Amino acid sequence: MASRDVVTYKTPLSRLLNVVIVIFLAFYLVWTILPLFLMFVSSFKDLLAAFQLPPVGAFSQIGIFFDFEPTTKHYYNLFYNLGFSTYLMNSIIAAGGSAVVSVVLGSMAAYSLSRVDFRGKGDLFFWIISTRMAPVVAVLVPLYAIFRGFDLIGTRTGLILAYTTFNLPFAIWILKGFFDNVPFAIEEASMVDGSTRFQAFRAILPLVAPGIGAFLVLCVLFAWNDFLFASIIGSGGAKTLPPATRELVQPQNIQWGSIMAAGVVTTVPMMFLGLLIRRYLVTGLTMGAVRE
Amino acid sequence: MASVTITNVWKYYGKTVAVKDLNIHCEDGEFVSVLGPSGCGKSSTLRMLAGLEHISAGDIHFGDMRVNELEPKDRDIAMVFENYALYPHKTVYENMANPLRLRGSSEDLIEKRIAFAAEMLEIEHLLQRKPMELSGGQKQRTAIGRAIVREPKLFLFDEPIAHLDAKLRARMRGELKLMQRRLGTTMIYVTHDQLEAMSMADRIAVMHNGVLQQLGTPQEIYNHPVNEWVAGFVGEPPMNFFDCELVEEGGRFVLVHPAFRQMVSEAQSALLRGALRGTSVRMGIRPDQISIGGKSTVESVAGTIKVTEPLGGDTLVNVDLKNAQLLVKTHPDFSGAMGETCHLTFDTGRWHFFASDNGIAYF
Amino acid sequence: MTQNKNATPEGVVRYVEGAKVLDYLPQVFNVKPSSSYYFWLMAPALIVLAAISIYPFFWLIWMSLHNVGSSAGDTFVGLKNFEKLLTDDKFWIGWGLLFKYTAFCMFFEIAIGVLLAVILNGHRFENILVTVFLMPMMMAPAIAGLVWYYLFNSTFGWYHWLMQSLGILGETSIIGSTDTAMAALIIVDIWQWTPLITLITLAGLKRVPRDQLEANMVDGASAFRNFVAITLPNIYPFLLIGIMLRFMDNFRFIDVILALTGGGPAESTKVLPVYLFDVSFVFFKLGRGAAIALTLLIVTIILCKLLVRVFEGPASKRTDMGS
Repeated sequence: MASRDVVTYKTPLSRLLNVVIVIFLAFYLVWTILPLFLMFVSSFKDLLAAFQLPPVGAFSQIGIFFDFEPTTKHYYNLFYNLGFSTYLMNSIIAAGGSAVVSVVLGSMAAYSLSRVDFRGKGDLFFWIISTRMAPVVAVLVPLYAIFRGFDLIGTRTGLILAYTTFNLPFAIWILKGFFDNVPFAIEEASMVDGSTRFQAFRAILPLVAPGIGAFLVLCVLFAWNDFLFASIIGSGGAKTLPPATRELVQPQNIQWGSIMAAGVVTTVPMMFLGLLIRRYLVTGLTMGAVRE
Repeated sequence: MASVTITNVWKYYGKTVAVKDLNIHCEDGEFVSVLGPSGCGKSSTLRMLAGLEHISAGDIHFGDMRVNELEPKDRDIAMVFENYALYPHKTVYENMANPLRLRGSSEDLIEKRIAFAAEMLEIEHLLQRKPMELSGGQKQRTAIGRAIVREPKLFLFDEPIAHLDAKLRARMRGELKLMQRRLGTTMIYVTHDQLEAMSMADRIAVMHNGVLQQLGTPQEIYNHPVNEWVAGFVGEPPMNFFDCELVEEGGRFVLVHPAFRQMVSEAQSALLRGALRGTSVRMGIRPDQISIGGKSTVESVAGTIKVTEPLGGDTLVNVDLKNAQLLVKTHPDFSGAMGETCHLTFDTGRWHFFASDNGIAYF
Repeated sequence: MTQNKNATPEGVVRYVEGAKVLDYLPQVFNVKPSSSYYFWLMAPALIVLAAISIYPFFWLIWMSLHNVGSSAGDTFVGLKNFEKLLTDDKFWIGWGLLFKYTAFCMFFEIAIGVLLAVILNGHRFENILVTVFLMPMMMAPAIAGLVWYYLFNSTFGWYHWLMQSLGILGETSIIGSTDTAMAALIIVDIWQWTPLITLITLAGLKRVPRDQLEANMVDGASAFRNFVAITLPNIYPFLLIGIMLRFMDNFRFIDVILALTGGGPAESTKVLPVYLFDVSFVFFKLGRGAAIALTLLIVTIILCKLLVRVFEGPASKRTDMGS
């Protein structure tokens, strides 16, 4: 057995480098976490406490950041006065619905595309991926016009359809890569064993189930985090968390505590989901181009 | 159980032809091996038998039943795949139970059949493991087990032991043959390894470039190859070939090669006489039908030893003749240094003659 | 041999190198059985996709040729919407700002992301650090924009206080000045998306062939030479993927911009998609919006063509079984 990494030898320079590296990592760690941390803490701060800052240059007084009485009133306010339970529900239904539709239809299509060859397949793929890559605003313009005609503006159905514009191509594209990795022989064995072709498709589903599950989660994540579709197509009856949070920003009397609380409510579930599918994250975020 | 009849079968993949006008009849209970180099169409043939590929033209019958349009599940066959194709998420037991489950067999029957197969294949202790935890040989046994629990009317094996190590392969050859004899099920076995084909099959179908070259018992294939290609493909180490002239001399043929001049036996001369076209032929002789020695005799041919390869049981000797080379397989205690002169004696009764223009065997 | 003589015209059987070869064609082909099964399986997805992408695309073209939403109803105006764009300063400035924004984001994200990946690769805490670093990516961009809006606030934002205390900024908030607002957007993008570059680069670093590195070391290369000569060429395809993806995303999303600056101040951050948003959904000039959207789509499709080529490069070689 060889060692896990390519060997390195210690030199004075490399020792110095190590110190620099530690400082850099520490700085980057703080840089990454601090905004999240400030959001989290601020969501428990009273309005006055949130506005407290030390005088300019007074670094010694940084401690006043922690000088407050924690309160959960913003969370209470969100759900009891600002209607966030509805928005949360909208988010869950729109994101979940579009993810399920996309992954179910997408896995069927991806499986077929992975198993059969035909002329124009390359063009079909290009169409699929360019649908995914289209700028959201550009898609939004005609979609808004069409949905207005069908009375889909402000409905959850409309939002689910809108999210499907980017989730379905994503699911097809990435799941095809997954099915490509499953040896055809397993279905053939299953067919020889006596299953129909659809049963053979079902027979290999357990093999790709972890991947399908992970990409379902990613579809939820993409849809959940959307702002543009939700603010135009969802406006009115199907407002989701991001636009609802944005609406708390008023010219007068910005409710920072509530905004931060809404941020926490929106962000925390996605972070858990992200951790859950950590293994598939790179594959998912790079449209399957990079695999860990 | 059933016989298998392949009639004028063609297989096209787009414009490329994988199988050309194939005709094979395989008796009930017979063990037929399809032998050929990669790309010869043997796997396509097997897959058409399994129903995993459509038949471009021609017919396949199992017994009297035409199966062209039958789906794999309705053909009552079992297949073992090259890479085993086990279901990775199922245990060995569940893998073997799958074909029975799909047919709605009772749990009792499933248990009984698996117990029987597991005992035969000596994998009883592995039944609760998953394929990941198995060695190559164990995976392969599981795949075979999955095939035999079905008690199908036809076994299709696609290079099932190609990926095992040499020792295990040798053992599996014997076991597979024994298993087939015990079950008495018709078996079509695809392989590129002539040793497997020769040692196990009742009959061998040799294929090349999609065309069936010869179908016959291992002895027929080995002793009477129908053309030069089969002669060169079957046999390890391969046959030696020489471009020769045949001259008639006193009622017998004499074989003339720049390096040697040899009388053709009475019997072979008689066979050649009617068939011969022109005077030039390709003569073939297997390395083990040449003896090598230090002493010259009337019939012997002198050559120079190029290199010797002791293999333990045998020794292979590369010999340089005048503008030709040949390979001799001899006894292990043969000793001859590089560059030494040696004397070769051909077993004249065992020569093969092929037409020099197209390579068809004269007899 | 059981070769059927009737089907084997003797004239076309040849022997090549001693092997039998057949040159004729079968007389009767079996009717090709339909492979419609796969077609039916993919049909639902393709129909839905067509309904929500091709249909809207033609709608978009139609809209771009009409004056949509005017009091006189939708009137055909030909290419007028496009003609107007030619003289529309905001349109061209929007493109300029978009490329500027994207270029700056890309430069810093690649520089920091790769550096971070090289440091993290094989680090004792690699796994946990990477997990922490990717948390911002899980955040909705709109929420990220709002959080940074709070941090940058000139009266109570901690980051503003910090920058002021360090003497970088004066009284005005970073998003309150036309000189610095773009920088604020770039900072947020760097914060959120540098980890993606890091993740991609890390995946690339793991794939650098170890034997090449070791051969080069034995040949006498220093660690730095080794990095330049072996590591960089090997991770290059991965970087390309990262660049393409970030490029597309900067075109795709304007959530942060809408939340943080809304295109202001004085339109200094009104990149093209934001301008498009304003035209279409603030002023509801959908015909003009459609014309802008079409130009944006066309550029994206060209970029996408490049992206697909990059995707088919060596980085996408499958290494796992997918299960």
